[in-house]
Amino acid sequence: MSEFEKEEKYKAKLEAKFGAAVSGVAVQRKNRVWLEIPADKLVELVQFMKTELGYDHLSTITGFDGGENLGANYHLTDTHGVITARVKTPRTDPHLPTVTAVFPGAEPYERELADLFGIKIDGLKPGRRYPLPDDFPADQYPLRKDWKTADAYPVKTSQEAE
Amino acid sequence: MSKITIPLGPQHPALKEPVNFSLVLEGEQITGSTVNLGYNHRGIEKAAEDRTFLQDIYLIERVCGICSHSHTTCYVTCVEEIAKAEVPERAKAIRTLVAELERVHSHLLWLGIAGYEMGFETLFMYTWRDREQVLDCLELVSGNRVHYAINTIGGVRRDITPEQKTAILEKISVLEERTGYYIKLATEDATVLARTQNVGKLPHAVALERGAVGPTARASDVKRDVRKDEPYLIYDKLDFKLITHNTNDVFGRVVVRALELVESYKMIRQVLNYLPEGPIAVKVPAKIGPGEAVNRYEAPRGEDFHYVKANGTDKPERVKVRAPTMANYPSVSYMLDGGYLADVPMVIAAIDPCMSCTDRAMVYDKRSDKVRVYDWNDLRKYGIEHYKKRGIDFSKK
Repeated sequence: MSEFEKEEKYKAKLEAKFGAAVSGVAVQRKNRVWLEIPADKLVELVQFMKTELGYDHLSTITGFDGGENLGANYHLTDTHGVITARVKTPRTDPHLPTVTAVFPGAEPYERELADLFGIKIDGLKPGRRYPLPDDFPADQYPLRKDWKTADAYPVKTSQEAE
Repeated sequence: MSKITIPLGPQHPALKEPVNFSLVLEGEQITGSTVNLGYNHRGIEKAAEDRTFLQDIYLIERVCGICSHSHTTCYVTCVEEIAKAEVPERAKAIRTLVAELERVHSHLLWLGIAGYEMGFETLFMYTWRDREQVLDCLELVSGNRVHYAINTIGGVRRDITPEQKTAILEKISVLEERTGYYIKLATEDATVLARTQNVGKLPHAVALERGAVGPTARASDVKRDVRKDEPYLIYDKLDFKLITHNTNDVFGRVVVRALELVESYKMIRQVLNYLPEGPIAVKVPAKIGPGEAVNRYEAPRGEDFHYVKANGTDKPERVKVRAPTMANYPSVSYMLDGGYLADVPMVIAAIDPCMSCTDRAMVYDKRSDKVRVYDWNDLRKYGIEHYKKRGIDFSKK
């Protein structure tokens, strides 16, 4: 048995439950496990982790721009360790399911994905945008790599402003 | 009775920071509430991608004025993990020392705010006067009162001298005595009890469900503290208690924070007496990765969470910051429902919310009725000229 007994156990449980659906399961170090899962299995996975593994706290969701794919890392914790589930979605039509049915506290994190990355969150209840201002252009997503500040706020020097 | 909806905020709903609440009222009682955030989103995560790992420390420090050390420590531990840097034990001890001093300053600040919100302004005056003691300690250690800038990648920037140790221990003794008085006050004073008991209820199950963190969760008997659950820095070597309370209300949150102060004093003494000899930093190459790391940190307000992804250059690919207040907001709507309008500031203040402000300087010229936005170079020029007129020339080589 390796030195990461607890982490290997989680890895085995996840692989047993989801089979080939989970990929790239890696024990990075003590208390850190990473894995990847298709978007349609995401809700099932977080539900399983919450009820079966005791990972009942969603610390946050980190969106990312990986070129062809956009995606998100769901960081779950049982207070001791962190398991991060990575989900990818095509840049041309980015969609992810909401996990608010399992973690109600995920709502602001999902709004961030929608506002900053332009990932549509299926099933997220309608509400005010967050965190960008109400008058920010709706088709611009600042955390995508091809977005530059000047897209939304054309730069003017103080001389030009005068 | 007909229902009315009133806005509360975004200008200073409780603390001097922007957040907006829509409250549905039936008479004096709240029947529904929504929280609107985002008034000072500053794009720090985007800005971090354009700067080097080292420059980002200074950016991340400014995520928050109160828990500046929490954010940088969480960030640098991620970077060090990717770079596989072995941080010297002495550096870890100094980081822990500053972390606990920061917690003391934050909790005393909060206790004052709580006093202010409940109409007990003497408490506000007392705690803020005493808070100067811990701010003096921080200034002694780092040269600054709030943005300590003690962290660097691979260690810390300043060492602790024996004289500093003596001075800190003296001030901690003063604070410990004062805190004893505050604990008595918080648990026995009629005003405090009347304003805090059974106000802003957050049952244990709801706190778990909505992902509450820090003292907010611990006052609902949630036994969670990153320092205990996943010890970082040198917390595994320190002897301290995990403080929880089971009243689930604002009173519990006052008690948890007051008792945590005592634990912090204990830890500060232990760290100062432990302080191993050795270097305070190791050299880490500017180019880091590729790799990614997540780390958690128990900030004064709860679990702080950072994710860093490096791509092998000197700039990060992605930095994600989740401050504790963000995790506590879903709980606030629950706490407000069913309560009274007069208690709203108390309930909001009880999670110790922290958004942060200012992003750039705007100057309104009364004579020409024009608004002018200064950029960095303008401000610099303006500053140099302003002092030149007064006979001090900073531009001289």
